[in-house]
Amino acid sequence: MSQPDLKHTHSPEQPILLEMRGITIEFPGVLALDNVNFDVRRGEVHALVGENGAGKSTLMKILSGVYVRDAGEVIFKGQPVFFTTPRQAQLAGITTIYQELNQVPQLSVTENIFLGSEIERGLLVNWPEMHRQARELLAKLHLDIDPRQPLSRLGVGQQQMVEVAKALHHRADLIIMDEPTSALSLREIEDLFAIIRELKAQGVSIIYISHHLEETFEVSDRITVLRDGRHITTQPTRALNVDSLIRYMVGRDLSEKFPKEEVPRGREVLRVENLNRGDRLKDISFSAYAGEVLGIAGLVGAGRTELVRAIFGADPIDSGQFYIDGSPVTIHNPRDAIRCGIGLLTEDRKQQGLILKMSTRENITMTVLKRLTRGLFTSRRRETALAQQYIDSMAIKASSQNQLVMNLSGGTQQKVVLSKWMATEPRVLVFDEPTRGIDVGAKVEIYKLINQLARQGVAILMVSSELPEILGMSDRIMVIREGRIGGFLDRAEATEEKIMEYATGADRAVPEAASVMSE
Amino acid sequence: MSESAVVNVQPSANRAGKVLRQMIVAAGPLLVLMLMVLFLWITAPAFRTPTSLLLIGLEAAAIGVVAAGQTFVILTGGIDLSVEAMVSFSGVVAAILIAGTNIAGGQIAFGIPAAAAILIALAAGTGVGLLQGLIITALNINPFIVTLGFRSILLGISLVWTRGAGINIQKDEFLSFLTGHIELGSLRIPMPLIIALILYAIVWVTLRHTKLGRYTYALGGNETAARLSGINVGMTKIIIYGISGLLASIGGILVMGRLQSGAYQNGTNMTLISVAAVVIGGTALSGGTGGIWGTLVGVFIIRVVEAGLVYLSVPSNAKEIVIGAIIVLAVALDVLRRGDIPWLRIRRKSSA
Repeated sequence: MSQPDLKHTHSPEQPILLEMRGITIEFPGVLALDNVNFDVRRGEVHALVGENGAGKSTLMKILSGVYVRDAGEVIFKGQPVFFTTPRQAQLAGITTIYQELNQVPQLSVTENIFLGSEIERGLLVNWPEMHRQARELLAKLHLDIDPRQPLSRLGVGQQQMVEVAKALHHRADLIIMDEPTSALSLREIEDLFAIIRELKAQGVSIIYISHHLEETFEVSDRITVLRDGRHITTQPTRALNVDSLIRYMVGRDLSEKFPKEEVPRGREVLRVENLNRGDRLKDISFSAYAGEVLGIAGLVGAGRTELVRAIFGADPIDSGQFYIDGSPVTIHNPRDAIRCGIGLLTEDRKQQGLILKMSTRENITMTVLKRLTRGLFTSRRRETALAQQYIDSMAIKASSQNQLVMNLSGGTQQKVVLSKWMATEPRVLVFDEPTRGIDVGAKVEIYKLINQLARQGVAILMVSSELPEILGMSDRIMVIREGRIGGFLDRAEATEEKIMEYATGADRAVPEAASVMSE
Repeated sequence: MSESAVVNVQPSANRAGKVLRQMIVAAGPLLVLMLMVLFLWITAPAFRTPTSLLLIGLEAAAIGVVAAGQTFVILTGGIDLSVEAMVSFSGVVAAILIAGTNIAGGQIAFGIPAAAAILIALAAGTGVGLLQGLIITALNINPFIVTLGFRSILLGISLVWTRGAGINIQKDEFLSFLTGHIELGSLRIPMPLIIALILYAIVWVTLRHTKLGRYTYALGGNETAARLSGINVGMTKIIIYGISGLLASIGGILVMGRLQSGAYQNGTNMTLISVAAVVIGGTALSGGTGGIWGTLVGVFIIRVVEAGLVYLSVPSNAKEIVIGAIIVLAVALDVLRRGDIPWLRIRRKSSA
């Protein structure tokens, strides 16, 4: 935010390039977008902000043809459009630069720019012409890159620039940038911003999505805030500040009920000391106590999932020591963790938590099959009894024990995962996004089960991107920022604003927050 | 979503539908088999004898045992391309030990009783299987490559030890028993068929009622989830490839005993046929679903087709064409079952 005057140079009378009206899309059980309006002017940088799950990416995926909207209209360059594939959007002039780059690192810069649109002379590829045009495109972006070298030789920042060059090659009028700076150093971010200004000057419009609010302020002309799939406000950037923006992002009534129960905090069960893993986790130390729900908050990519996976032995760590009940333990793999009484409900149930092709019973007993085995054979009687015990106590809605878990609803699937971990009689249970993709009624059931576990003296760690959930269910909150502990908050003092401050580094001097990223 | 959820939602309707679907999926291959038998029964008079049916049973025994091992591996989402070489290898090892000689007539050992020789051959086969599993797990190499490599190694060893020919043996009492018949009234049930069926029963129990069986399906269903559930994925894989080695070796002994010869060609084509049988039997190549009885049906389907070609006087040279076509068809069937054909697929919204 160094030179605030440079950014609002265009006149607000610029013609509208894109208009999205009344966009609505429903996923099973979730109204992901509800009557959202959004527009972009020519040569404008329009930032789209909101909490995780607010619907930013969904809106952009509808625009770029990845999802098909249920209702609403999109008007692009004055024409109503209905893209059903990303290719159609690209041909019309809308290009998305994704968080994970969509490139082939082994191929040359030229080949990446022209991937799918190679220039041919007869049957052969016209290399000289392609290299010439590639050089031209790169020059437009003031990039001094030899287009013949493999993409893999470039840094992540330059690779992203190549993606921008590709967008220019496709004569994009509108470029969607989804978290473009998440992998960039401070220097590269400055280069990107320079290019964004260059693009603006050439009349290209940009939709800019970022969690880093300072960046949003530095680069955007207007900001639109989404929350819970609804449009909250659209304002010129200069009319907003960080505080007011955060209020728009989080300032909702707690419409959902969190049936939090007060459970006296017991003894320390798990202690983590000086946990390090590459540049994802840095020097993390904390304790978890019996009966306590420790919420773990932070932005996407801050390292929350990495942290709990490291504790569970799912990923290797560089250094760090774990203690259970005060005695040191070694955890090299999930088996060790389970032996120590740790369980993990992963954020991605279907990919990591369940075996979808197997039955409800088989999934519930997966973790404790050893216990159910006498001699060579597993006891079907004991297995059935155990599964039924959880089906009854958790009210798992399955037509029978044999119903495949792929046919269960999201909430029911989560209960199956929870059953499988409760069967191990854990001391520490880690929930990574416990209610993601679960409808409101089932959420409350999951919360009640978390309460019940806390009452039984289990130490709960709960990673969540939903701040109300963190605030509503946690006794104590640990905020992770860029792989480090950003701070702890007690239930009494915690607010969404405070968490966001710790998570974005807004509590510190702004320059320092930026310098962390360039390390 | 009330608290007092009823566990059995429409039990009768759901269950009936599910059972029906399962029956169709399970009975599909069986239905094909029965139709083929019926067709031959009508068109080929020579086929209409119990003897010809039992002959097919005998033909199916060795490959059936091999395919049982292949079923384990494919259920985990892997593949074992070494089985045909394993068949040859175990036959050669046993034959050398029984004959006490190699093809050049040089004495390399004193001949030992068939039972002991077979035990050693099976141990060797199991060991090689375990080793393959270890390499696949420890070095994280694609099983396709590892087992393809071992296929060459084992065939090479068989070639070297036999100098490219077969080692002929005399059957002793034990070997005669293994390759003989059991009289059941007027029927002479081939012993190899009985052995195969017993092994199938054991495999079925293993898959159904042991930890190992459950882990086999879990690995194929979702290896990540299995690992995160505390399953020792590496150990399970090693054991699975050991089992495949053991069963292929048993198949090798059955072939060797019947031919009274241990030769490197003993296992020819068995890899392809075993994979085809597994897939025809309804086990997904991607792993996680399927079962052992389907494989048995798959083996019989292939053997009945082969026999049918003979009864219908199709030149034996054309056999390979039909077998090849069946294999492609079987895999196409597998793909179809999963509904994984891009140009037929309907785009669906995935949840956000």
